[in-house]
Amino acid sequence: MSITVRHVLGHIFWGGEVRTAVRDLAPVVLGLTPFALLIGVTAVRSGVGAATGILSAPLLYGGSGQLTALTLMAGGAGLGAVLAAVGLVNARFLLYAAALEPGFRGQPRWFRWLAPHFVVDPTYAMVTRRRELPGVDLDDPVAFRRYWTTAGVGLGVAWTALTAVGALLAPVLPASSALDVAAPAMFLAMLVPQLRARPARAGAAAAAVTAALTSSLPAGLGLLCGIAAGVVAATLTDRSAS
Amino acid sequence: MTLLVSAAATYGLRIVLITLVPAHRLPAVLRRGLPHLAPAALAGLVAVAVVAHVGPQAPGPAHPGFVAALAVAGLVAWRFRNPALPVLAAVAVAIVVEVLS
Repeated sequence: MSITVRHVLGHIFWGGEVRTAVRDLAPVVLGLTPFALLIGVTAVRSGVGAATGILSAPLLYGGSGQLTALTLMAGGAGLGAVLAAVGLVNARFLLYAAALEPGFRGQPRWFRWLAPHFVVDPTYAMVTRRRELPGVDLDDPVAFRRYWTTAGVGLGVAWTALTAVGALLAPVLPASSALDVAAPAMFLAMLVPQLRARPARAGAAAAAVTAALTSSLPAGLGLLCGIAAGVVAATLTDRSAS
Repeated sequence: MTLLVSAAATYGLRIVLITLVPAHRLPAVLRRGLPHLAPAALAGLVAVAVVAHVGPQAPGPAHPGFVAALAVAGLVAWRFRNPALPVLAAVAVAIVVEVLS
């Protein structure tokens, strides 16, 4: 009996999806650590305050949006300006959500309303990468739900805790480019394995060039232009190949 | 208050194509592009970070190690599948260049 209970509990809490999500999340958290510290440091040094900085982590749940909001609030920007800038910076979540939507189909109502809060660059990239690897079938709704919940909640807890650590260490942390390089390096680490397919290479090249050329546009617009150009280039390459 | 309203707006962006108007109801031409979103978004994020640090609009002096660190990260990512190694390599290169310069 106790063996059965232990087996069932083990299956629920430590099933393959949960274990895989934890394993996938560990290097992501490591890569995001400097970025989270930077947000905590920025909140304190800009005068917005540690509490607001830490609270921004679970509420906004997206580093670039948080940095934008904190920087603008520190500069005395009004609600409309902050809202417009954060909306532009985070507009890519709309696209991520559209791409992730099949995983949310056939899920319980609570999951479809609450779990999209965890849509952000690392969780989107984790799911995209995991779908190409053997081990966990994310087309199965239960497997997707366990994987997504573990990844989203785990990342949220780590992200908030690390932001708090950054706020605490703000007076002693030196300014270093090592803090800035970690997040793009992590995105690069997620991108490179996807470049084996020709459409992905075409899409990545078009996105990078367009985003760089349009980077002078207001916050977030250049990135959106880059993403749009990349998707169009990859789709056209895919069509010509087939 | 500003933070709460921004969070609500961001939640709206996340939920609209999942719960309110599920993406499978989008026109086929838009749905065809969705599988190609990941490499485009990740490449765009990297490009924006590079331009922000070494481009003409960079707020401070260019970090000499930034591009070198990302180049090393790219090579390590190509060679190894572990996503932590490129990050560690990039941070190590950035620190070394910073100490040496």
